[in-house]
Amino acid sequence: MQLTAEELAMLHGEQGESLKKAIAFQVEVGRFFGAQRLVPITNAHVMGDIEVMGDAGFGFLEGFAARKAQCRVPTDSNARCMHFDDSIECLRPDPAEEGKERRVVSMLRDMRIATTDTCINYQTVYQPKLGEHVAWGDTGTVIYANSVFGARTNYEGGFSSFAAAMTGRTPAYGFHLEEVRRGSIAVELRATLRDLADWGAVGKIVGHPNQDYLAVPVFEGVRDMPLSDALKQLGASLASYGSMAMFHLVGVTPEAPTAAAAFGGREATSKIVITDDDLEAVYRSYRFAEGAANVVVFSGPQLSIFEMQDLAARFAGRKVAGGMHCFVTTNHAIYSDAERLGYLATLRSAGVNVLQGVCFYLLQRMTDIRAENGWTNLVSNSAKLVNTITAHRFNTVLRRTADCVEIACTGKLA
Amino acid sequence: MSRVIHVLRAWGRSVEGEALAMKEGFSPRYDLNRTTGTITRIGHSCEGQSIRGRILVIPTSKGGVAGGWAFYDLLEKGIAPLALVFGKLNPVMVQGAILADMPITEGWTEDALALIRTGDRLRIDPAGREITVL
Repeated sequence: MQLTAEELAMLHGEQGESLKKAIAFQVEVGRFFGAQRLVPITNAHVMGDIEVMGDAGFGFLEGFAARKAQCRVPTDSNARCMHFDDSIECLRPDPAEEGKERRVVSMLRDMRIATTDTCINYQTVYQPKLGEHVAWGDTGTVIYANSVFGARTNYEGGFSSFAAAMTGRTPAYGFHLEEVRRGSIAVELRATLRDLADWGAVGKIVGHPNQDYLAVPVFEGVRDMPLSDALKQLGASLASYGSMAMFHLVGVTPEAPTAAAAFGGREATSKIVITDDDLEAVYRSYRFAEGAANVVVFSGPQLSIFEMQDLAARFAGRKVAGGMHCFVTTNHAIYSDAERLGYLATLRSAGVNVLQGVCFYLLQRMTDIRAENGWTNLVSNSAKLVNTITAHRFNTVLRRTADCVEIACTGKLA
Repeated sequence: MSRVIHVLRAWGRSVEGEALAMKEGFSPRYDLNRTTGTITRIGHSCEGQSIRGRILVIPTSKGGVAGGWAFYDLLEKGIAPLALVFGKLNPVMVQGAILADMPITEGWTEDALALIRTGDRLRIDPAGREITVL
């Protein structure tokens, strides 16, 4: 790998122990993928909460905090594992872990990280431009950045995004390279996509049988200009089921003015046609399990202000049924705005719990929380969420938004 | 008789251990109870199996950025796998493995899933880009 004089100085410890550790790690990762160099970045998005880091990651981060490590580029934080709100008793975290989580937040702030605690930074924090290199540490944010903005980032998990934030660079492999961004799977959309869940279902249909980080689906046949929230669901689902980091929507996304431009000469390895019947088959594939207590969750990714507005309208004048719990997650910024706009009051009076700064599947102690509450089914309009939460042994069911609201308010599993 | 499988990319020290072969993708967040080290996703081909000290043979990666921290955490908890052998992976698996000093390989010349059974003893030689079924 070719390193600049400054990068070599970092590697040799001339700029301190933290930068030495960070760049040494980046060089190892870059070598694995055959990266020729490091590329400067403008922005980083770090994922670090006590649930996923554990005591090992906590101790590791403490070392950087003690050395007063600082981020070189504007950096924000991903959704966390605790909402710090005692009013929602059924989701209580472990008190000892809560203390550590508060300490993690304070260490991140000391490292000059804006703790926005959001997995929708692309809607609320920073929108990189075409060709801009960033280092984002959440799959849904990565696929949105690459696909919708035409920015360039790989999945930067755990320490990887912290290292990039500190050095202001990242190894140039994967989606930082032009040739990797070309389409490889042709998808013809014949189905009419009416609901956010439909976009997630499309992501499952394409992602699940084609798990490959380097696969790039090219969608044709989109009739109406999709909203940001629809592309958010499509991307999050492709990333979750397919481990994919980029898609093209011909006529919509910036690197796909035409199908030919999207493929850029790369041969499509497969062609998928998606009809209305295919969408219905996704919904039919889920089965409800017998259980007296169940949850309906709107989360994964966090909700935008327009999703909050929509849900408030749907729940207005209604009540969550006995035996059901209903949860919504968003970030602090949207939570504040939704409070000011009255959406939260409407949701609360319907018995909906709104959590801030978290994503539902990230919650600490989730396996125990599920068992303590006796929850069996988890119903959501997020195709990502019904996939990511399964280690906690929920029976998960994907449904359209209107159906989710109906299930929450009637308790009838259908 | 030992069989040798060549891999495309590899990192880490040489290790020898017992294989846990999966039929589908794997994510530490989606499939694993990270307190016990047991695979808990309902319907996973290795549901109920422990990953502790084993060489995981995995066709593809699923999701997710959790692996970036999770392997390091599993190591401290004493329930980490010994090494990761992937057909196709995403960078998070490499980032997580390097942080946890866990050998990792990607790609195979022969179908490793056809050659390796759960319980087989494997030697992983990242420098030589070779997996030997002992």
